[in-house]
Amino acid sequence: MTKTFTENDLIRYVYGETSEIENNEIESALLCDSEVQEQFAQLIEITQQLSCVDYFPSENSVKNILDKAKELNLQSIAK
Amino acid sequence: MSKNEISDSQLVTLYRNGDEEAFSTLLNRHKNRVYTTIYLIVKDRYVAEDLLQDSFIKAVKTIKSGRYNEEGKFLPWMLRIAHNLAIDYFRKEKRYPVVVMEDGSKVFNTLEFAEDPIENKQIKMETHQMLRQLIQELPEAQKEVLIMRHYMQMSFQDIADSTGVSINTALGRMRYALINLRKRMQQTSIAYDKNIYRK
Repeated sequence: MTKTFTENDLIRYVYGETSEIENNEIESALLCDSEVQEQFAQLIEITQQLSCVDYFPSENSVKNILDKAKELNLQSIAK
Repeated sequence: MSKNEISDSQLVTLYRNGDEEAFSTLLNRHKNRVYTTIYLIVKDRYVAEDLLQDSFIKAVKTIKSGRYNEEGKFLPWMLRIAHNLAIDYFRKEKRYPVVVMEDGSKVFNTLEFAEDPIENKQIKMETHQMLRQLIQELPEAQKEVLIMRHYMQMSFQDIADSTGVSINTALGRMRYALINLRKRMQQTSIAYDKNIYRK
């Protein structure tokens, strides 16, 4: 079978942006094309790692936001 | 139904009608993602903390004034506010991001399991620290697309529209960003292993 999709399409597939027809084509290739399998595995690996990069704001910032939201809530109720 | 099971849209409506707890749930649900997006742009904890507060307060004011469009999704909308404020910050300061020490930052690992041995946790933590550093070292255009697609959940078409490039260019930048990150991760890991085993 001739592969008609590109590496960019594979990235769109990983991010859920491909059409059903494109999905079928990519998934068929994933079953039998070792090059596509490897590219896909590499993309999944790096995107999963990216999803693990996360930062936490301080409790103080969260409290400030909640205090301000409360203040604005009271103002809107008073109107 | 607990507030954690309620959709963002319902929480926004509840908050607009005076339910403060609904806003608290929204904030707790999304604060880390919004903060991470800001931090990756400004690279300064203290500036990121300020911009996080500004972003949520701006959102609150918009919701309370009745200008929030319920048809849109809350998180992408919130991330756009945060992104715009982070970009405005650089414009106002007329400066570019500088790398600062990540003192006190924590790592959140969604793939971590309680039964992981300590060594595995340590390796994962180091991997994520390395990756965060490598993201900062990407060329600006690649980093921008990566943040917009992966952390802000914008579609490639939206990214292309907002950065003024074609969708293929946006995709190409993303591809190079992912390739670069993977290559650098491998290189850094090899160098790290060599240092360990040399001892």
